[in-house]
Amino acid sequence: MSSAVLTDSRWIARGTDRTSFSRFLGWLAPWFAVLALGVYAAFLCLYHGLNQTNMDNRFAFGLWIFLDLGIIALGAGAFFTGFLVYILKRAELRPILNTAVVVGFICYSGAVAILMIDVGQPLRAWFTFWHPNTHSMLTEVTFCISCYLLVLCLEYIPILLRNRQLRKLPSFLVFEHQLHNLVPVLAGIGTFLSFFHQGSLGGLYGVLRGRPFAFRHGFFIWPSTFFLFILSAIATGPSFLMLVTATVEKVTGKQLVPQDVFRRLGFISGILLGIYVAAKSIDTLIWLNFTSPAEGFAPWTYYIHKPFGTPVLFAEIVLFGLLPAFLLLYRKTAARRGWLLSAAALACIGVLMNRFVLTVQTLALPTLPFDDFLTYTPSWQEVASFGGVIAYGVIVYSLSYRYLPLFAQPNGEQ
Amino acid sequence: MKVTRRDLFVWGAGAAAGLVFTPVPWKLLDDVSIWSQNWPWIPQPPRGPIDFKQSFCALCPQGCGLKVKIAAGWPVGIAGVSTNPITRGVLCPLAFGAHQLNWHPRRVRGVQHKGVPSSWQDAGAAFAKACSEGPVVVIDGQPGRSASTILASFAEKHDGSYHVEMNSETRALVPYESWTGVSAFALGYDLENARTIVSFGAPLLDGWGIPGRFTRLWAERAAGMSDPQLRLIQIEDSLSRTASRAWKWINIRPGSESVLAAGLARALIEEKLVPAHGPMPDITVSDAAAQAGTTEAAIRDLVHTIAERPPVLAIANNHNPEIAALNVVLGAVGAHGGVVRRSKRTGKYIPAEAQIPNARAVLIDSSVLWDFAPESDAEIFRFAAWDGGSQKSDWLLPAPGFLEEVTDVPTAPTSAVETYAIAPQLSKPQFEVQSAAQFLVTIDPTLPTIENVIHSRCGYLLHQRRGTVYGPEVTAVAKFDSAQKLEAELSKASIWIGDPPSPGGLRCELKQWPTEIVSESPQNWASIWNAPVLPPLVTKLYRESTLREAPDRRTA
Amino acid sequence: MSARYGMVIDLDRCTGCGACMMACASENNVPSLPQASACTGLTPMLVRKVSNGLQGSERHEAFIPILCMHCEQDTPCVHVCPQQAVEVDKATGIVMQMPQRCLGCRYCMTACPYHARYFNWWDPAWPKGMEKSLNPGVAPRMRGVVEKCNLCHARLHAAKEKAAAAGKREIDPADYIPACVEACATGAIQFGNLADPKDPIAQESQSPDAFRLLAKLGTQPKIYYKSKEAWVRALAEPNSGPNVEAKHV
Repeated sequence: MSSAVLTDSRWIARGTDRTSFSRFLGWLAPWFAVLALGVYAAFLCLYHGLNQTNMDNRFAFGLWIFLDLGIIALGAGAFFTGFLVYILKRAELRPILNTAVVVGFICYSGAVAILMIDVGQPLRAWFTFWHPNTHSMLTEVTFCISCYLLVLCLEYIPILLRNRQLRKLPSFLVFEHQLHNLVPVLAGIGTFLSFFHQGSLGGLYGVLRGRPFAFRHGFFIWPSTFFLFILSAIATGPSFLMLVTATVEKVTGKQLVPQDVFRRLGFISGILLGIYVAAKSIDTLIWLNFTSPAEGFAPWTYYIHKPFGTPVLFAEIVLFGLLPAFLLLYRKTAARRGWLLSAAALACIGVLMNRFVLTVQTLALPTLPFDDFLTYTPSWQEVASFGGVIAYGVIVYSLSYRYLPLFAQPNGEQ
Repeated sequence: MKVTRRDLFVWGAGAAAGLVFTPVPWKLLDDVSIWSQNWPWIPQPPRGPIDFKQSFCALCPQGCGLKVKIAAGWPVGIAGVSTNPITRGVLCPLAFGAHQLNWHPRRVRGVQHKGVPSSWQDAGAAFAKACSEGPVVVIDGQPGRSASTILASFAEKHDGSYHVEMNSETRALVPYESWTGVSAFALGYDLENARTIVSFGAPLLDGWGIPGRFTRLWAERAAGMSDPQLRLIQIEDSLSRTASRAWKWINIRPGSESVLAAGLARALIEEKLVPAHGPMPDITVSDAAAQAGTTEAAIRDLVHTIAERPPVLAIANNHNPEIAALNVVLGAVGAHGGVVRRSKRTGKYIPAEAQIPNARAVLIDSSVLWDFAPESDAEIFRFAAWDGGSQKSDWLLPAPGFLEEVTDVPTAPTSAVETYAIAPQLSKPQFEVQSAAQFLVTIDPTLPTIENVIHSRCGYLLHQRRGTVYGPEVTAVAKFDSAQKLEAELSKASIWIGDPPSPGGLRCELKQWPTEIVSESPQNWASIWNAPVLPPLVTKLYRESTLREAPDRRTA
Repeated sequence: MSARYGMVIDLDRCTGCGACMMACASENNVPSLPQASACTGLTPMLVRKVSNGLQGSERHEAFIPILCMHCEQDTPCVHVCPQQAVEVDKATGIVMQMPQRCLGCRYCMTACPYHARYFNWWDPAWPKGMEKSLNPGVAPRMRGVVEKCNLCHARLHAAKEKAAAAGKREIDPADYIPACVEACATGAIQFGNLADPKDPIAQESQSPDAFRLLAKLGTQPKIYYKSKEAWVRALAEPNSGPNVEAKHV
């Protein structure tokens, strides 16, 4: 190799095949541009204040909260895969474990970054830890997400330390080995924390007595949305992992995991999605017939505002819930990669739709009889920050894929 | 001993762990919470001893009593004075933000001559020169004050003329002048004794008359009652605030108030609900109904309703002879619950709009509405505390702002009793200001000062031995043993209220139904507010709620 | 002895003049920012116009002052604030917002069904010198924090200081009157202690003409409204009255 050509081959694991450095930079460049724009937008919001967004007193939550809830739901694949592999000993999912951790890390760190811009006084973020309100779902979310991000960092570090150059440092090797032993414990903690914060994110809306569209009764202090969010997260987390892995395989032109992994992920996703759809349908019926009317809100009034008519409810539960569940479980479609991935995509859209309905539609709907149904369009700063997080994710994943053994098999092959 | 990397790690970890047990991180956290309580660039209120003082608002002729919260010498809050029997603790919404007006960006801070900064000396010299070269016209927007006496005296002494701007409420009383021989400034409405009030678009509950007077009366005698003691019938072409709260709202075509008044008068006479010797309108009831957008039956029905509970009083929004004539037909002129004479004041006045040929200069007091533009080539000396824009005058002279001068408060328009009060100064102007009256005193030092005039007025009140002073205590004037003591009491923002009017003191002669055509000028709730700008909080009310539509008024 | 401060607002008396809005904004040092709008402004007291939905001579309109309802049960905002920046003061029943602790997460704003909470989207600003007209009893808030009506707690504080200076334990009720109550031209807004059976509003709140907004939500608001008009009382609950016209914000 000519020394005049810029190369990073010594950072890449031996025996692996990666594209040239210049091509890789070419791939990263536009993502860095998007990231830069996102960072600039975030800076504007921090410097000038939240008036840079199109949120207002009625739309106190907007694109960012929807984004947070969405990517945390999609990132659930991280803890769930860990749970399946380490707690339930499903070793056949091991090949996807590292990528799950990276995806989880990206999703959670991105969500926390957005949250820091989304609050009016980021300097006071630590007040939640100092003056916690045990009744508030948001306290629970804050604690658990912070702790879980820490767990993900601890799970990511061993992967990071397996980089060809970093491995050479004995202390890192030892550290990595010790962390490796810790991973099952971390997986257990991660499952515990995730269970609660996925649920609490649902609880955020389910406890809102003042928003009958979102309010649900449930079990003890947890509204039904607590459990529905957990179910939908663990149902779609594996689907998202499938999509990410399939995308990487397509972009790199390699088969990275045994095909069996896709089928298994699809099966798990399908089962859980089916349970979720059943639970959600029951919950919706209870809400329409009992919960909402008891608060004085006839449920048909929620759906009279175009375009948020009943087709939205139908789409969320049937088109993006029941249909992908069926496709993932039906033998003939589950066997075909194309159908599998389409179903996974539908499932992911479904969970995003569910989060959207619960964040944005809840706020759009009037509560007082003399209120209007309002609409909200995010400002460019909000969209750019959103884009920045996606770009950040792609960059981190690309770097991880290039320099770290994400898909390494036990025998060292990739 | 060799320090290894491992040692560094161990010491580093140990130091980090140990730090947690020192106050350092916790104090730092504590400090961050204090630093983030408020940022240094957030404006802070003034700090200083807090006091509550009373005065009166001079921003419109109603002169409401004010309770002003003072901090470090600055007015920081406004409320009403509940012990004032006239205003009854009520203020118009504008008053609550008035204390911010003195810092309004459009405050006139220095003398300007044709848009260029000048000085009081130059203005004085120019005015003195103008006086020596020809007649000067002086225009007063709030007649009856001590300042008004000085303005009128100056005009008289220097062969000029003194003109008076009338607000819409006083203008509504003008038609009675020729029929009773009494000045509109000496007339008022005896609302307290009326049992039925027919308002032709007058915003009785939203910016008409003294804010506290009718709103409190209505609240006590009519609000929420299906059979109220005071029946308010609002005749208006849209559902205004007053119309929506009224006992009955009569929806008419825009601009048909006069014709409806004529139709009502005719129907009252035809239905024999009133004596027949009053002036009879020419228009028939059915014609009037057609023009007003209603039916003859509805009008006949309405007059029965109106006449059910006398005394009945009709109130116009502005100068409207036909509505005034309706009052004559109803027998409301010079009667209990009707149009009454409250003072013996006589004398003619020249309206502000009168043509002023050959005038060399026009001096406009700050109480005159900003939009008033005299039709004259004369040199115009405009006193104003705020600049309303579209400069029409040659000289713009900074007048005292809100609570920035001692002034007195004559009887409010529409009041049924005479009142008098002295408004103490509660705020310091931050630059050199002069009222028009003070300016004229510097031009002609033989004129009395405002203080002199106030002295003599208190002397006059004492001499009359009539009326009562309402302050922390209620004291009859007769009980004061000197004018100084009376003035001292009034200077504490007490109010003198004259005796109730004797209805018999007003004779009305109207033989023929008036046919003068009037055009209704659109009014809004802030029409008689003489500042050309609104307090910033009022602008905010327009902008941040759908409660009101903004008037055509310069905003902050 | 703990009080439950609340209000009974007579909607037959409210003329929609806006004096209460002005007095509230002045008392609480709320700035008038040219860039704010009906959706982004701070109006701890906001008077809304409502109608019976009909047109022409059949149309009726009324005005409803909306402020924090100081909910007593399962107070939504207190329940959800992650750092206890809002709490129900047990001695007075006032739902106290502490802007100094607020993180600006706006969760409380989504929780409040009455939209009585407002976010400082900008820093407050006044024309030069106008800060001398600010009320010293209330600290101006910086951007990024939520605020709302707290029943003029500064005036309660002043009343307590006055009582303490006179050696008394209880405040004189005449010394504690919120700005909106003081400003109301028709006396439509009545304020008092719902826990005191001798207080007139305790009886008024039980009158058959009295109602609370969205009472079925179960938050037990302490702001009562009253009207003899059936169509106005129907505004208590959505979907239960005639088609009232919606007015933005």
